[in-house]
Amino acid sequence: MRAFLALVRKESAQLFGTPIAYLAATLIALVTALIFFDHLRAYNLTLFLVTTQTTGGFDLGTIPEHVNLWDSVFSPVLDSLGLMLVGVLPLVTMRVFAEERLRGTEELLLGLGLRPWTIVAAKFVVTQLFVVLLLAVAFVYPVTAIEQGGIGFQHMTAVFLGLLALASGIASIGLACSAFSSSQLISAVSGWALAFLLWDFSWAASLFGDGAAAALEPFALHPRFAAFGEGLVDFADLAYFLGLGLVGAALARFSFDLRRAGGL
Amino acid sequence: MSALAPAALVALLTGLLSYQVTREFTLFNALNLAGGGLGLAWAGARGLHGLAQRSRGAPHSGLARGAARVLFCLIAAAGIERLAARTLPPADLSFERAFELSPALKDALAEMPAPLEALLFYDAADRRVRRSRLLLEALAQAGPVEVRLVDLARDPELAQQFELDASAASSNQIVLVLGEHWEPVERASEASLYESLYRLLRREEATLVVLRGEGEGSLESVEEDGYSGFVTALLTEGYRVEGRVSASLAEIPPGTDAVVALAPQRRLLPHSLDALRRYLAEGGRLVALLEPGRESGLEEVLAEWGITAPPGLLVVDPASAPLDRNRGRGVDVLAYGYESQHRVTRGLDADRVTLFPGVRPLDLRKPASGDRLTRMVLSSPRSFVSDDLGWLSRSGAPEPGAQAPERRTLVASGRYERGGRETRIVAFGDADCASNRYLRSLYNLDLLLNSVHWATERTQAITLRPKALRGTLQFPVPLQNSLTAFYGIGLLLPELLLIAGLWVGLRRRQS
Repeated sequence: MRAFLALVRKESAQLFGTPIAYLAATLIALVTALIFFDHLRAYNLTLFLVTTQTTGGFDLGTIPEHVNLWDSVFSPVLDSLGLMLVGVLPLVTMRVFAEERLRGTEELLLGLGLRPWTIVAAKFVVTQLFVVLLLAVAFVYPVTAIEQGGIGFQHMTAVFLGLLALASGIASIGLACSAFSSSQLISAVSGWALAFLLWDFSWAASLFGDGAAAALEPFALHPRFAAFGEGLVDFADLAYFLGLGLVGAALARFSFDLRRAGGL
Repeated sequence: MSALAPAALVALLTGLLSYQVTREFTLFNALNLAGGGLGLAWAGARGLHGLAQRSRGAPHSGLARGAARVLFCLIAAAGIERLAARTLPPADLSFERAFELSPALKDALAEMPAPLEALLFYDAADRRVRRSRLLLEALAQAGPVEVRLVDLARDPELAQQFELDASAASSNQIVLVLGEHWEPVERASEASLYESLYRLLRREEATLVVLRGEGEGSLESVEEDGYSGFVTALLTEGYRVEGRVSASLAEIPPGTDAVVALAPQRRLLPHSLDALRRYLAEGGRLVALLEPGRESGLEEVLAEWGITAPPGLLVVDPASAPLDRNRGRGVDVLAYGYESQHRVTRGLDADRVTLFPGVRPLDLRKPASGDRLTRMVLSSPRSFVSDDLGWLSRSGAPEPGAQAPERRTLVASGRYERGGRETRIVAFGDADCASNRYLRSLYNLDLLLNSVHWATERTQAITLRPKALRGTLQFPVPLQNSLTAFYGIGLLLPELLLIAGLWVGLRRRQS
């Protein structure tokens, strides 16, 4: 346990000792704020136009159904934020294993008697904690703005949980990719490719037919994440993202075996 | 790793990205995906071949154990996901509780004679489809429903088969199919789903005769003061509605399950009232909705059955706010007092309020010892009665005078055994509650339809229907507040983070 905690400290210092973590957090927080504000402005404008063009004002039934906070603001912001996480998180995870492998410090850690599982667990824990921090920072502005609208925190909790689960899943994919390469660039590119491959399988319908797309859909990231945006917390979806983390960690651990066998 | 692998990865990524952005499958996407996939497969095969050569003669137990661990984690992850899907129902944290199905919908599903197919037609760019799909999945979890998504662009013939325009205009349209029958769902909402399900069930019809010709509310009018919504709801719930001019009624037609009187403005002719009397005496059913200030002669018929409805009085409940600036305070009564034992009002409680915009009080006295009269809906204990009907069109606060405030009966029912037959009457002190304007307010629709079901002895149809919550998320978020938050937090936080990142970068460089 002591070795694990020491590794967690080392990983945290490494992560926050490089500008990439801060840049990633800046990018996520800034883009979230800009997209959110822009959609909010457009929504208010549409609402104003609709209510001034009809005589009913804000009476029920006078505003078209599609002009509402979820469809006009939250849903597009969540989709954009989800895609942005796919773009940014592999940049954060690319160095986690690859850098150690390139410098040979991984061998050093193993030589100190640390077990591969301990190394993998410490790296996963620190990265996932960073993901929580990243999303918490990105969420401060939307929560403040929406709290003033009186929507309530329950729905926001579901949205946050969904984004957190998605980010955790993408981070796990990125970590697994990083574990199989000593090149940070290849780690990042393979992380992006795999995350986009899993994003949704609608492309598979065009290539292999509807049946194949439907069979693959339970493994897709986007449909699993989308329900949270509607305020629905499905525990099967949470279990799916948890499973991604588990499989990602097992694959990262397997990379040690593969390396020992001379495959990497 | 083979030098081919990075190039294959980039090709794969480009193919996927271009598809996600355009949502179109072109030759460019196909070539990139195919090339990237083949390249990766080739690189993987070469990697495996190299691994086999390098580890020739070495023990493979470590590698096999590692692979087994990955396999075990995969199976465990799939098992946990399946277990969660089967044992834990989703938690609905949505603002509108949009995915919690009402008892009525669950009851209707339970009555389905065969599995139901729910087709959701969609256009790929339509965001509303996501919510509709979740609603249908909630439906599928509650009963034997198979959900099928139909891409309008890929399957236009199927859309045409269900008389839909095979274009994006039909996106988010749901069609329910039960065997050979199908019903379109007007809106992707629980309330509309329920109505379509109900129509599919094709329950045995009952006949209602609705009186007309003496200034009663119009059954056809879609205006706010019309009753077309009430008639549509009755048709949906399996009634045949026949409008009959009361002046021409010598007898209530045989086979009538109940007579409905919707706010007659003038006095019914004596022979019409006599026909109604004879019908009731022979075990007939009456649902009477009266308006304050109008004397139709129905008051006399009701009084013979122990329900007195003085036309010149008005219930004033100071606990209720007026619906209009030009109405007295308390004349638009929000009722939350219900008889908990009555089949109609058993499901209603203090949180399930009904609205009576201008209501006359009802007084009950049993005509015979075995009769059962029930005060179904009551005003609050602070209510009193006013004889000034001018408060219906005048602002101000009516005073109770010397009378002590007490609960007043707004809706009453009676069951009467006469000669082996049972007569049933439901009387409402107000008819506006059934008008198009107020029918779907709060629990008015449930109270009205359940009263008709009770009168016609279709008690199995008594339920609480899905509420059509509209516009709950259609309010403006004040832009000025949002602007303050945007500058205060939205931009400040990234700025501080960027400064911290630059500081860390510089320190790292210096060290």
